[in-house]
Amino acid sequence: MSQTLAVGTLIPRNALVWIIISQFALLAPHLTRLPLWLVLVYLATAVWRILVFQGRASFPGRALRALLAVAGFVAIYLSYGNLLGLEPTVALLLVAFAFKLLELVKLKDAYVLLFLGYFICVIGFLFSQDLLLVLYALFTLVLVTTGLVALHRPREDRFRLGSVRLPALMLAQAFPLMLVLFFLFPRIGPLWTVPVKSHAAKTGVSDFMKPGDISTLSQSGEVAFRVQFEGDIPPKSGLYWRGLVFSVLDEGAWRSLRYNELPAGELRQPAVTPKGTPLSYSVLMLPTQQNWLYSLRYAEPEQRGILRTSDFRLYSPVEIEEQMQYKVRSWPATSLELELSAWRRQTELALPAQHNPATRELAQRLRRDAQDDAGFVDAVLRYFREEPFIYTLQPPLLDTQDPMDQFLLQTRRGFCEHYAYAFVVMMRAAGVPARVVAGYQGGEVNPVNRTVIVHQFDAHAWAEVWLEGQGWVRIDPTAAVSPDRIELGLEEAVAGEGSFLANSPLSPLRYRGVNWVNMLRLRYDALTYQWQSWVVGFDGEEQYRLLQNLFGSIRTPVFAGVVLASGALVLLPVAWLLLRRRRPPALPPEQALYLDFCEQMHKRGITRRPGEAPGSFGRRIALEAPALQQWANHVTTVFDQLEYSRDSGEPAAHRQQLAHLRQLLRRGPQVQ
Amino acid sequence: MDIEGAIDSAVAEVGTALLGKEAQIRLALCCLLSRGHLLIEDLPGMGKTTLSHALAAVLGLSYKRVQFTSDLLPADILGVSVYNRNDGSFTFHPGPVFTQVLLADEINRTTPRTQSALLEAMAEGQVTIEGETRRLPRPFFVIATQNPIHQSGTYPLPESQLDRFLMRLHLGYPDPQAERQMLLNTTAGEDPEAALQRCLTPEELESCRAATSQVHVADSVLDYLQRLVAFTRERAEFAVGLSPRGALALLDCARTWAFMNRRQHIVPEDLQAVLAAVAAHRLVPSGDYAGDGHALVDLMQRSVDVIRS
Repeated sequence: MSQTLAVGTLIPRNALVWIIISQFALLAPHLTRLPLWLVLVYLATAVWRILVFQGRASFPGRALRALLAVAGFVAIYLSYGNLLGLEPTVALLLVAFAFKLLELVKLKDAYVLLFLGYFICVIGFLFSQDLLLVLYALFTLVLVTTGLVALHRPREDRFRLGSVRLPALMLAQAFPLMLVLFFLFPRIGPLWTVPVKSHAAKTGVSDFMKPGDISTLSQSGEVAFRVQFEGDIPPKSGLYWRGLVFSVLDEGAWRSLRYNELPAGELRQPAVTPKGTPLSYSVLMLPTQQNWLYSLRYAEPEQRGILRTSDFRLYSPVEIEEQMQYKVRSWPATSLELELSAWRRQTELALPAQHNPATRELAQRLRRDAQDDAGFVDAVLRYFREEPFIYTLQPPLLDTQDPMDQFLLQTRRGFCEHYAYAFVVMMRAAGVPARVVAGYQGGEVNPVNRTVIVHQFDAHAWAEVWLEGQGWVRIDPTAAVSPDRIELGLEEAVAGEGSFLANSPLSPLRYRGVNWVNMLRLRYDALTYQWQSWVVGFDGEEQYRLLQNLFGSIRTPVFAGVVLASGALVLLPVAWLLLRRRRPPALPPEQALYLDFCEQMHKRGITRRPGEAPGSFGRRIALEAPALQQWANHVTTVFDQLEYSRDSGEPAAHRQQLAHLRQLLRRGPQVQ
Repeated sequence: MDIEGAIDSAVAEVGTALLGKEAQIRLALCCLLSRGHLLIEDLPGMGKTTLSHALAAVLGLSYKRVQFTSDLLPADILGVSVYNRNDGSFTFHPGPVFTQVLLADEINRTTPRTQSALLEAMAEGQVTIEGETRRLPRPFFVIATQNPIHQSGTYPLPESQLDRFLMRLHLGYPDPQAERQMLLNTTAGEDPEAALQRCLTPEELESCRAATSQVHVADSVLDYLQRLVAFTRERAEFAVGLSPRGALALLDCARTWAFMNRRQHIVPEDLQAVLAAVAAHRLVPSGDYAGDGHALVDLMQRSVDVIRS
């Protein structure tokens, strides 16, 4: 580029360094979601721009830039398979952000780049609103602001890390305003939905279950939800978080009943008489992109917008795309569905024909030996307990034709879904209504804030059996095989095989044995809970409630008043401080008059330079505008006399000179 | 002829020996009239010696020159006592320091030990040899020259000793016109240095000093000076700001400058005129700052306005 640029429009070296640093810092939190070549793009553009700065390369021409832009689109299309969706769009933005560095010629370009940087700061929140990410975003905010400040520093400045102090201070000063905006800025609903669900975004238990599904989920140490109980926390063995009920065995996989499969009379939840004392708790769920909610047995939601299904689950009509908090009451002792309808009985007994003949035969034999259904359940559990079954995270694969025959009679190694599957098949084969329930079991009690943290590896599947006079009864066949799983959790249960979180060697959950690591993790989790429920959870509804509590009914003028008043409350003290500090002391009259002269000269096109002394300024005026020379000389001489000479001490002479100067200025130059 | 006229003619006279350097000659004279020692820093062959010699000549002062080398010892400058066999006593043979103008040529070539012997003489106006203190003649000026320190085999003067020089000057290359005149003069076989006339009598030199101290300093000028000094102490660009001695030196030189310009009071330009020569060698830029002392002086002058705003 052969443009000649005024020095003032060039980007200082320091600013360039800070811009490149903040680009990499902004890229870092997205690394796990981005193709690796993007990092190379960032490195290449940074090196290129530095070479340009050193004069060893030139900016790309128009054709090359167009080519690069097209290449960026193509590469993202090849990496993601499409250009829409959240991740490809973010990748596109980040590629553009890198290429923009190659267009960084003038100050104007740097502004564009840095303001884009501010936008990229917040993009990470589309994926996660973790506390650490917030801290990191603040850090990048400081970096970007440092770049902005560096644009306005003298170009001879050397690079030093201390430069971040000023931007950090500036951001700290903006903090009160941020708080006001956080509480008062209207939460406008989204004008469009971000297509979050690209690939593998759904988390947690899915709506069908094949053997192996839950053991895969159990490899993850992520948090599924956190629960805060009012009152005591029930023992671990009672914490069966029901999420899904699988009533249909279809092509080797269990799935729930679809809404359209339910006959009209079965759509509503059967009437229930709650029994015993209720448990009150609130669940803070992380986004799953699914509809179902988790609760203990027989739950009634305490807020609107949550549905109850006919199999006693809670269901959200909208998919949970953001974290969600809901309050529930549960009566664990309640009997469910004492009367079973004919349709329900038939559904919960259905088994696909021609599969698992050996299992059926075994079930029917055990049923014949038992006195009643309850005795049969005991017999099956005893079978699991007494035969050499092994509870393992690494079960062998089963064939699709008769998986249960193979499992029960040959491999005998399985995870909870295998046992639940086998148990329900046996029940149904013997004519006892039964179904698989999936969700989470147990959880970790955080002693810091008394929440129960339920991780993905707590995912579990168990069974429900319908017994005459008792309704649906929870039976956990896994407990028969591995009582440790229920009493102590997965980690203890599979301690022997070393498979717990085998794929995440750095997860702090693996180091629970190290006391301080564990304490740190639990404290951080408690902090996260606070953060998630108070800050991330502060939505439009919460805001409305807060304002209503504070100001009664909310009308537009009241709201506008509150916004303006609190803004003023925050900004006025700052403004007052700044103004107070800046106000100069009153100038002596002759200096004020001289500044007046400078102003007049400025209007005539000659500006006194910073630090220029009156004498030098007078000589310059004589050179640059000879027509004004006489007047300027006169003014300068009189000012000189007044301000600097010994005679200025006499009051009478001083007054006279001052009047003279004033008159000179009023008259202005006598230009011929 | 009044003293100011005599000074002007002295400047003109030195100007015949050192062509095209009037600004530096005026500053050098200003330094000597303010009773300060002068440091001239430049590459070899720029006229450092010529300037110092010419200054001594026009002021009518005795002049000695010492070429500083790495093996020069303090005694070589100060003098030694020699045993006299005739009367069996020691006789003191004064060294070259006993003069009115001493040219210390390439002062940074000698060892710190010798440098400090000279610096004591500069600060005290006297020397102590073998326990006996001897006064130096009055006035006593040292004009030291120095090569830029990045040349090999030099012992750069530390900041604390630089501070003892009232001014530091750079001569720089002459402009083409002056250089051609100089070349013509040498081909003509003239030696301008030999023909230099004394322009100031010792009495005039003394009364000049007295007149200088009468120059009026207005409050606003002191205010400007103090703001300049404060600037060097507050800003991050400065590792070492101006000392009170530096501030005093500025005021002294500005007074003399005002007097040389036939004024009875200081104006801000006087301060600005001597600022670079007086302040640049006393300022140390901080590690983060890319510029040198002169850049710092520029920064001061640009940032501190004459009129408080």
